[in-house]
Amino acid sequence: MKPKIETRQINAFVDAELDLASQLEIEERMRLDVGLRAQVEGLRQLRETIREGADYHAAPAALRRRMTTLIAPKPAESTRLPGVASAVQRWLGWRPMVASFALAAVMAVTLNLAGLRPSQDDRLLDDVVASHVRSTLGQHLVDVASSDHHTVKPWLSSKLDFSPPVSELQIPGSVFLGGRVDYLNGRPVAALVYRQDQHIVNSFVWPSAGKDSKAEFSEERGFQTAHWTHGGMNHWVISDVNPEEFRAVVRAVQLADHDGQAAGVR
Amino acid sequence: MSNDESARRFELLVMPHLDAAYNLARWLTHNDQDAQDVVQEALMRAMRYMGGFHGESARAWLLQIVRHSCFSWLKENRPAQRTFLDDTDDSVHEVAAPASDEPPFVAMRKADRLQINGAMAALPVIYREVLVLRELEDLSYNDIARIVDIPVGTVMSRLARARGLMREALMPSARPALRTVPRSTYGGEQS
Repeated sequence: MKPKIETRQINAFVDAELDLASQLEIEERMRLDVGLRAQVEGLRQLRETIREGADYHAAPAALRRRMTTLIAPKPAESTRLPGVASAVQRWLGWRPMVASFALAAVMAVTLNLAGLRPSQDDRLLDDVVASHVRSTLGQHLVDVASSDHHTVKPWLSSKLDFSPPVSELQIPGSVFLGGRVDYLNGRPVAALVYRQDQHIVNSFVWPSAGKDSKAEFSEERGFQTAHWTHGGMNHWVISDVNPEEFRAVVRAVQLADHDGQAAGVR
Repeated sequence: MSNDESARRFELLVMPHLDAAYNLARWLTHNDQDAQDVVQEALMRAMRYMGGFHGESARAWLLQIVRHSCFSWLKENRPAQRTFLDDTDDSVHEVAAPASDEPPFVAMRKADRLQINGAMAALPVIYREVLVLRELEDLSYNDIARIVDIPVGTVMSRLARARGLMREALMPSARPALRTVPRSTYGGEQS
């Protein structure tokens, strides 16, 4: 009688991982050996049972979103750090203490927004909210802190492939805090940061191929947002001020933008 | 700009395998939050090692890093499980050595997921990982060998044993028969 076939070989046979000669040999022997045949059949059924019955754990939406945010290149960071990886390392470094709150907040926002929102606009809205929340948690509000648009504009222009409109807002209670480079909609964008009384306002700008459009307002988890296209630029403004005040802020941003264009500042 | 490029490359090569990465980490760490942390760390590491990746299977490459992160995590947080990691002698072989003259596994058509998941979760980690990679990720022996960093022969042995243990757990009636099998003959961990 031929030596018994090793269990691991029968397993490999069931997995079709044996070389052709061995594969054929086992098939041949199965014809005569009832026990072997039963064992192969048993293994196949076990395999099916596991494949059908064991949970496949797909990555949670929150993790996916976090990873997408983390790997997004942040040109502004690269001026201070060797690279994205180290920025992330730093992020990981202080995460346990400081950022657990930040993380929870961002995840809470993204989790809630992640729901059933397939469209690109909605994803962008999510990103805008997440970016705003991140910036207000005190880690990275501005790259260039200056209330003077003559300082901020050249700095942003040097970091971006476009020159964003930059100006102070002509409304009471508004303070221009500066700008930073952020990442939205798959590209680096300019973020202008204002303080309206005690509230932070983020105003994002990046080039658009679209036509001019009127401002669309919406409320997202207590944040007021507005977006529009003007003069070949996309604008997204977000803050947690009250709705009336927010409209005033948006108007001021639009006015400043128009004035800037009229005066040829852009 | 190179940041931009590597991020794009990463997005293209690595992100499609996020599910596989999480699935492995989830099965190895046993819980969601730890799995998320481990995957995040692994992906950051992958990002740094991007340069070392030269167009082989991106999934195997990533899972190798994830697996490594998982084991570092286990070492730190579940030292008790470590004992299994170094098991290469035959002390582990006494558990189950399925042989061809045993009653074969009878399909549990109604086998409930709870039981199957429980049996799999209870496997020693070195058997659990090969089973997850084979049955849930449907990876080849070669890929598994690369990910786990063992010879293909060892993949075969561990997989056979993993299935033997699963069968034992799912078919308690088979248990007595297993004890009589001479362990020197079958299912040895050889390479």
